[in-house]
Amino acid sequence: MNLNHIVYISRAVRPLTDQDLHELLEQCRRDNSKNHITGILFYSHGNIAQLFEGEPEITEALFERIKRDGRHSHVQKLIDKPIDVRSFPEWHMAFHPLESVGFSQLQGFLMPDRVPAPPDTLTIADAMLIELVRLAVFGPSTEPAFPSLPGPTSA
Amino acid sequence: MREQHLHALLHHLPAGVATLQGPDLRYGYLNKAMQELLGTDVAEGQCVADHPGVLPSDLVDVLQQVYHTGIPYVAKACSLPLPPQDGKESVSRCYDLVLEPVRDDAQEITGLVLFAVDVTQQEEARQRAHTLAMETRRLDARLRVLTETVPQITFSLDAEGLYEYVSPQWYYFTGQPPTADLNAIWPLLIHPDDRLRVLYQGDAARKAGTGWSYEYRLRRHDGQYRWMLSRALPELHAPDRPVFWHGALTEVHDQRELSDALRRGEAELRFLADSIPELIWTATAEGFIDYYNHYTGEYSGLTKEELGPTGWVNLLEPRKQAEAARQWVKSVAMGEPFEGLFRMRRHDGQYRWHIIRARQLADERGPRWFGACTDVDDQHRLREVLQVQYDELARTNRDLDTFVYTASHDLKQPLFNLRGLFEELRRSATFDDPEEEQLLSMVDDSLRQLDSTLQELAATVQDQRGLSAPVEQLDLRHIADEVLLGLRAQIQASDATVQVEVADAPTLLYGRANLRSILHNLLSNALKFAHPERPPVITLRSYLSANKQPVLMVQDNGLGLTIPKTPTTAFQPFVRQHPQVGGSGVGLYLVQRILASRGGHLEVSSSIGEGTTFTLHWFEEA
Ligand SMILES: Cc1cc2nc3c(=O)[nH]c(=O)nc-3n(C[C@H](O)[C@H](O)[C@H](O)COP(=O)(O)O)c2cc1C
Repeated sequence: MNLNHIVYISRAVRPLTDQDLHELLEQCRRDNSKNHITGILFYSHGNIAQLFEGEPEITEALFERIKRDGRHSHVQKLIDKPIDVRSFPEWHMAFHPLESVGFSQLQGFLMPDRVPAPPDTLTIADAMLIELVRLAVFGPSTEPAFPSLPGPTSA
Repeated sequence: MREQHLHALLHHLPAGVATLQGPDLRYGYLNKAMQELLGTDVAEGQCVADHPGVLPSDLVDVLQQVYHTGIPYVAKACSLPLPPQDGKESVSRCYDLVLEPVRDDAQEITGLVLFAVDVTQQEEARQRAHTLAMETRRLDARLRVLTETVPQITFSLDAEGLYEYVSPQWYYFTGQPPTADLNAIWPLLIHPDDRLRVLYQGDAARKAGTGWSYEYRLRRHDGQYRWMLSRALPELHAPDRPVFWHGALTEVHDQRELSDALRRGEAELRFLADSIPELIWTATAEGFIDYYNHYTGEYSGLTKEELGPTGWVNLLEPRKQAEAARQWVKSVAMGEPFEGLFRMRRHDGQYRWHIIRARQLADERGPRWFGACTDVDDQHRLREVLQVQYDELARTNRDLDTFVYTASHDLKQPLFNLRGLFEELRRSATFDDPEEEQLLSMVDDSLRQLDSTLQELAATVQDQRGLSAPVEQLDLRHIADEVLLGLRAQIQASDATVQVEVADAPTLLYGRANLRSILHNLLSNALKFAHPERPPVITLRSYLSANKQPVLMVQDNGLGLTIPKTPTTAFQPFVRQHPQVGGSGVGLYLVQRILASRGGHLEVSSSIGEGTTFTLHWFEEA
């Protein structure tokens, strides 16, 4: 099966509320599982970054839809290329909700500090890209000293 | 029949009708609408003055006056409260009230007719129109103030492209009199190099019914041409045919000059970066590479797209990539400079050493990263070669020093013998020829000279190498570690295991340089003469003999060597046991000499193909 992944960053037109995020999460979870799209979205203080993977026709069409979405602007595609295997088993969204109650139970939601390390199936260049977009969205404070890049021994 | 019809009509008329009779104005006829308006407590025969219903008291006065003067009167848009109905609250409605005198045949006034026409809707519409007109006037005034105070020149064009309005700023800017013919003058004030383009673009936009945005130079009152930005949008009434274009003209001269200069500067820098035979790149604040210079493509054989925002890491050796990626993420997070020595893959697959450096520049356009990868492969190789050669030279030098020292030492005994023999010869032999006598003294001189030369030679080397240095308490493990550190390249290359077991006799009272030289020679031999089919395993063991004398054993699993019959001649300098292996052959000879000079001796046992064991008795058993 042909697979592709796309990474972009963007800016929300205005800050997304818990309600906005919840709606986006529900809609994406529903549509992405229907379209066999997996990946992860980061959101914080209007900064958005997303990686998604799936069949090329679907990722292409999804990116076009997302790009036109009026909720954000300055959509900048960083990478769009074929991959051998998926690196994400599901679709997740990571952000800091104002009211964390309720969100923690929500399927598909992740606290930013619970985001797993980029899996080994990604090339180092792509894993670094994920680390950089994560840094761009959440800033350097959420780091526990870059645990997510594989150590030199595992390379 | 007819009268009845008329009566019904009157009764149901949507306007109120009432007759008021006699000088005291008593209600006569009241149609339905009037009855509803005045309320139920008003009835035929009552005086208006006593039962005015909803009629205001001043109207009652007016009724009286109309009756007396006979001049009709119309009260416009009177607001009358409707009596409450079906529990609904009373609301006011507007009525035009018409008061007409009624005369008899003798033209005497006998009463009045009162008409009440509901004009609430008209009145409301009129009110709305009024408010709207006020608002429009207010907006208009505001618009005028705004258009005349903003720094921009504002203008309106009609469908033919003729100026309909231009704000006063145009006159200030161009210095033209208010009487100037805009349509004739304006094109003439456009810079000749821009004129055709501007007229064409304006025409094209008007034909297409779209807006425009372009820049051109317009002559200022002082004759200087200044860059202006002209933007306009069509005003649409019918969906497809604009009738007006409204726009503004903004002076952008300074910005334009600045951005021209910036553009020029950027193009020049880029050209410079593209001309340098070095990998140069820039990255966004987030650490995504957004520019690779021309040479990067040439070196890597990859396009900018193939390299991508983080693809540079693919050029590094696979086992260094993760470390470099971590280092870069950390630099970006902290805003710290990045620096590292990495091997980078060239298009032909060859890896070359590079120093990668990147620094963050923060100016008003936000932080950006600037990086360069400098090829230091030639220097790096040269340094490696030089280091190997230097190590070799240093070793040879040391060995030669020790050799010279021990050789000069060894030559002393034969010289001493020679001198004894010579003295004997001089005493016993007689010479007839006096010249032969002289020969004797020349031999004597030469012998003396040889002796002192040997002395000096030994002394010089001794001082330099510290071979004669006083003995001190030495930590065997410490010295062994030092020596092993010097041999680490060979140890790594041969994958050797060295076991140091010194717990039984950890220290030794000896010359430091001597001990180091002995260990170095034995260990390097063991590494050199390793068996080709197995990695060397070397054991160093220090212990005390039965007589409490320190002994060191050095054992290997190497090629082994043949031990000559007479042990004293076992190790002649320059005699090599294994011609296929490099080495000067002085090593073991030196070990033996040093041991002997300090009153010890060396024992060797070996089996070919299995290994060799050296046993060093530091001091003679008492
Ligand atoms: C930041 C962001 C991320 C989004 N990610 C997804 C996504 O992963 N999957 C998805 O189906 N829609 C996503 N959307 C929503 C789409 O832009 C779009 O609204 C949705 O697909 C419905 O499209 P439609 O209204 O054209 O059917 C995202 C929107 C935003 C603003």
